[in-house]
Amino acid sequence: MSTEAHRRFDCFGGTATIHIRATSTEDGEKAADVARTSLLDAHRRLSRFSDESELTRLNDDPRWEVPATPLMRALADAVHSAGSRSGGLVDATLLDGIERAGYRYSLDGEPSISLSEALASRAERAPGAPHPDRLWRSIGVDEAGGTVIRPPGVKIDSGGIAKGLVADLAAEELRGQRTYAVDCCGDIRIGGCAGLERRVRVDDPFGGGPVHELKLRDGAVATSGIGRRCWVAPDGGGAHHILDPASGEPAFTGIVQATALAPTALLAEIYAKAALLAGPAGRWLPHGGVLVRDGGEVDVIAAKQPLTELAAAA
Amino acid sequence: MDPLEKIDRKRQAQDRIRAQRERAGRLKSRVVAISLICFALLWGVVFVQMATGNDPVLGDTSTVELEKSAFAKEPVEAETEPVEAEAEAEAEAEAEVEAIEEELIEEEPAPVTTSQS
Repeated sequence: MSTEAHRRFDCFGGTATIHIRATSTEDGEKAADVARTSLLDAHRRLSRFSDESELTRLNDDPRWEVPATPLMRALADAVHSAGSRSGGLVDATLLDGIERAGYRYSLDGEPSISLSEALASRAERAPGAPHPDRLWRSIGVDEAGGTVIRPPGVKIDSGGIAKGLVADLAAEELRGQRTYAVDCCGDIRIGGCAGLERRVRVDDPFGGGPVHELKLRDGAVATSGIGRRCWVAPDGGGAHHILDPASGEPAFTGIVQATALAPTALLAEIYAKAALLAGPAGRWLPHGGVLVRDGGEVDVIAAKQPLTELAAAA
Repeated sequence: MDPLEKIDRKRQAQDRIRAQRERAGRLKSRVVAISLICFALLWGVVFVQMATGNDPVLGDTSTVELEKSAFAKEPVEAETEPVEAEAEAEAEAEAEVEAIEEELIEEEPAPVTTSQS
């Protein structure tokens, strides 16, 4: 019997993992290497922290219509789709706001504060709201011409959307494998023709053990949270990288982490981020998920729509 | 014939019919019992053959194959080859069964952790 091939490596500012079981161990190892290369290549092209990346070049380009690779076009399309599906809550055109909040460079290795300290430094809790300009609407794709269309100055933040998208794209190449899981730093696509269930542990944003465990046969799960990257803002209060689109400031909504299930990793990422920004009163987990509140309370949300039905329809 | 004699003959006829029926019943039971015993014995033999690995179908096939190929050319070696071929076939069958069993109890995929991105 073949054993599952595993890869673990730094990617997208975090740790990515790949798990593949093919019909033979050798084939699984080869497929894992190919998937790893794909993820690293996507990271190199979509990182906003590299001046050489295609994303940075697109964001700096003064033209309205910019020639782009299929991956970049898929990202632009995903940005539009995220805004549209979340009613503007998931807005990947807030790059200037994120940089103003202090997240101009990759914060790996930079001094940070704990989630508890960040929460204690901010008293107010309010749900997020869409930005009135809804700039994500201005982003379009011309597939025939191979270009991304957007007003000059509108910048795309790859963020979680790129992770979900890349997990889905990598998983598409693994459809024929017996089992697979592509984990882009928390955005995970799971499947395989063997139809085996895989356990998914939901991490504790406060650093404890897993807060919950899900089981997934074919679908995706993504987690969005404010705890991983917290720093002290210029005003002395805590800051993080998830902004309330309306205010352009780090969002403190009462939810510190949201985990969403969905047919695709991109959709799971959109639901998770929307659930985080909407706060405890939000209803953004149609396929179920897990919410962690400021105080560490865990809410397990039951699915209103079965994952399998939607996966078939998607 | 007087009425008493008539009744007596009638009784005798009834006795004969009863006796015939009883004999027929005994014969039927005997036939059923013998059939069941034969059936059980036959299947018992087949079962023992299969349980000890002497499948007659496999035995015939391997013999035919050997006759068609190597046996015709090298009659001296043929005496040992059926045993080797049988052993090989057994090993192959065992390996196949093991592979199917392993596939059926495929290892659970490794768990993954979703954390905030």
